[in-house]
Amino acid sequence: MFNFIKKIANGIEIHTLRTKLIISFLIIGLLPILLFGFLSFNVYSGAINDRINNYSQEMVNRMKRDLEDYITEVERFLSKEQDFYINQFIKLTQANDFRNSRKYAFRIWEDFNNVKQLRPGLKDVAITFQDGRRISSYGTYNIDIDNFKESLYADESDETFFTQPYINYFQEEVVTVARYYYPEIAEENVLISADIDLDVLADLTDFNLGEKSYFLIADQNGDIIYHPEKSKIGERSFYYSDGFPDRKVSLKGEQYLLTSTYSEVTGWYIISMASADEVEAELNYITNLTIYMTIIVLILIILLTLYLSSSLSKPIQKLQELTHRASENDLSVKIEISGDDEIAELGQSFNKMIRRINKLMEQNVREQKFLRQLEMESLDNQIKPHFIYNTLDLIIGLLENKDFDRATHMVEALGKFFRLSLSHGKEMVLIRNEIKHVKNYLFIQQFRHGEEYEYIIDIEDPEIMDKHIPKLILQPIVENSIYHGLLPADKKGLIIIKGLRKNKNIYFKIVDNGVGIAPEKVEEINKILKGELKIDDQQKYFGLRNVNQRLKLMYGGNSGLKVESVENEKTMVTIRIDQRGGK
Amino acid sequence: MFNLYSCKNNANKILLFVVLFMIIMCFSADAGAEISSKNTADSDKMTIAFVPRSLENPIFLDAFEHSQKKAVDLGINLEWLGSFSFDSEKQIKIIDSLIERKVDGMIISVNDTPKYDRIINRAMEAGIAVATFDADAPNSNRIFNIGIDNYEAGKVTAEGLLKVLDQKNIDYNDPDQELRTMIMTGVKGALNLEKRINAFLDTVADTNIVIEDIVENQDNVNLAVELLEQYVQKNPDIDIIFFVGGWPFYVPAEALPNFRNWAQNGGVAVGIDIFYDALVLQDRGLIHYLVGQDMATMGSKGLSTLYNYIKYGVKPPEYIKTGLEISNQENLDRLLRIHQPWRVK
Repeated sequence: MFNFIKKIANGIEIHTLRTKLIISFLIIGLLPILLFGFLSFNVYSGAINDRINNYSQEMVNRMKRDLEDYITEVERFLSKEQDFYINQFIKLTQANDFRNSRKYAFRIWEDFNNVKQLRPGLKDVAITFQDGRRISSYGTYNIDIDNFKESLYADESDETFFTQPYINYFQEEVVTVARYYYPEIAEENVLISADIDLDVLADLTDFNLGEKSYFLIADQNGDIIYHPEKSKIGERSFYYSDGFPDRKVSLKGEQYLLTSTYSEVTGWYIISMASADEVEAELNYITNLTIYMTIIVLILIILLTLYLSSSLSKPIQKLQELTHRASENDLSVKIEISGDDEIAELGQSFNKMIRRINKLMEQNVREQKFLRQLEMESLDNQIKPHFIYNTLDLIIGLLENKDFDRATHMVEALGKFFRLSLSHGKEMVLIRNEIKHVKNYLFIQQFRHGEEYEYIIDIEDPEIMDKHIPKLILQPIVENSIYHGLLPADKKGLIIIKGLRKNKNIYFKIVDNGVGIAPEKVEEINKILKGELKIDDQQKYFGLRNVNQRLKLMYGGNSGLKVESVENEKTMVTIRIDQRGGK
Repeated sequence: MFNLYSCKNNANKILLFVVLFMIIMCFSADAGAEISSKNTADSDKMTIAFVPRSLENPIFLDAFEHSQKKAVDLGINLEWLGSFSFDSEKQIKIIDSLIERKVDGMIISVNDTPKYDRIINRAMEAGIAVATFDADAPNSNRIFNIGIDNYEAGKVTAEGLLKVLDQKNIDYNDPDQELRTMIMTGVKGALNLEKRINAFLDTVADTNIVIEDIVENQDNVNLAVELLEQYVQKNPDIDIIFFVGGWPFYVPAEALPNFRNWAQNGGVAVGIDIFYDALVLQDRGLIHYLVGQDMATMGSKGLSTLYNYIKYGVKPPEYIKTGLEISNQENLDRLLRIHQPWRVK
């Protein structure tokens, strides 16, 4: 898994600073938005669901109240104690006394029609005899009493009866509410009933829950009493389950929120069917709004991210490019600085660094050139015509004296001397070879000057023999010792060359027991060597200054020469090579 | 062995079973749909429905009473159905429900308008025998009409008026002194009422009686009282009022103060329809001459005639006339004893 992510990350160059910035900004920007959107959506959807449930419950409760108020009023009318006119009508009708019953009939018609006027939605009010004769607000007629009684079912009080919806005598869709009436003056009881228009139930349930949402009324058995689709009236409801518990139900592939209440007055359930689609339409709106807002914010974040990452990474990319070019030896690069932020400071530092490198490069070139010049001068100094001619004259004298062995040695020593001086043009040579070079020189000079002096070469640390040092370091010093120390003295001369290593420094001490140097002169020489004193005559102390300058160029200021002398006793030149400063 | 006879026998049994099952299913489906669609407990009885113009008009109570008596005698399920106040739409709806329930016959009091003709014809086409009583629809296919000779009633009323004027020494021939008259009728289009008005106008044509206004009360008793009171208050100088029907006579004299004042100041009122309340008003001097209809005969004879037509195919004459009753000062006391008050005290 990690490898897979890594592959994808590599695929989209996640390692680039710009990509990292984009991803970081996106995560920082997007996560809060998504979190906020998710939370607010959940909170809002919960609130809407609660509101719909409360609204549905409130609606069905209100319908229940309205329905019970209406039915109670009808029941109050039907619950007559004793009515003189009805009693008289019943008695006279049972006796077929039409002459006297007609005025009571008229009165009953009048009363019943007044009741209809006062109770909108009442289609008919009637008194029905046990034989099916009926007087109602529409006159007198006969009904099938057995069928009518069969259709009645009692409410919880067992005193009021209801029918299922049906088409009444006048082709009207009604529900009948009935109660028994027991006249005092007649043996036979009658039924007083009221036909309630189904439109009353429609009006009671005429609350707008939505286009698909609706209300229905069902009896205790779940048989539908009112439904907006009239064909459903009388059918057993699918959702009846020992009542109508509140829940989510499915109808024709759609979800509905069922909310119900039970009316004890009527024994009916008032049921709200709120379409989940319509309820969630508002949620969908919020969902879409959240999505659109998230997309807009996402686009804004992406644009902002691109801008920010670009503005941040572009100078860095430029810096990277220029650094790369600089690393490829293009030191002409320069960053155009704009602004004063950290990246601008970095650019300034980069430019400063490039300038410094350029200066150092130029300095190095100058120093190398100077070093070459010093080397050449050192070589020139060695190939003095006088030295060569005398040496060659000595060799000729030896050949004339047929001292071939010594002549051979001289030629050999001279050849080695020059060969080691040139060292195939190399700048650095092994100390071993430098020592050999000095030995050759001393051999030649000893022969030339009649062995007036001895020399000792003492290398304390043999390991330094394999170290490299600039060539022609020792010979000029030894030459000075011979010509300025030993030859002017009237005693047997001795030159000691010591080589040692101490604390990463290689020291060579060239000591002679010659005439020495006056202290003020020693001081002058050392000042010149330290650069504290300038001289106009470039030939003055040429050998010392040449070696000293070369060492300082190659090994830094700590390296160089130091002269110590006791007049008429000895002179010691110390060569210090600080290896830590070597190039 | 394959038995062709037994196979055929089995097929017949299955067919019989299927037919019986279908018949049972049809009946059971009907019973569930309409609780009261079956007419009576005794469905063998003939059912004939009377449809008066309204229940609130007590003039029909005589017909109601006597039709019930006759129904008992003939063993008929009698229905008496109507809207409380006259409403042609509701009346047609009631007739429509009777057609739906397939009653055997109906006797109705209607307006002479095409929509009534259509519903009557539809009932006839459905096999329901239809007759009219009181008000007729002669352009329909109804079998017969039973009622008074409305032209005669109007004529007799006009003649009675002239007699009253004579008794009051009011000259109805003086061309220089017009007797301004208001006619109160029910609704235009009621043929019986139109005939009465025409007869009245024909009879007084050669007099100085002139018709000032014709007021329609929409067959509504309460509206009739209200219109009458308003009219005489606005037109106290009106000389004569002819009531084509007895709509405003159902209230006591105290309920007609303007009309009473007008009568006491010499106004002459005549009208058609005799019943107890109208006679009381006549007795108190508010009305001077009444011509009555024999509504009882309309109820009883109308029912028996239609019964005979349905049961025995006895074709009645198109018009069956019932007699007129006249109420004047000479027979008023006797009539007050005969006619019963319709209102429950």
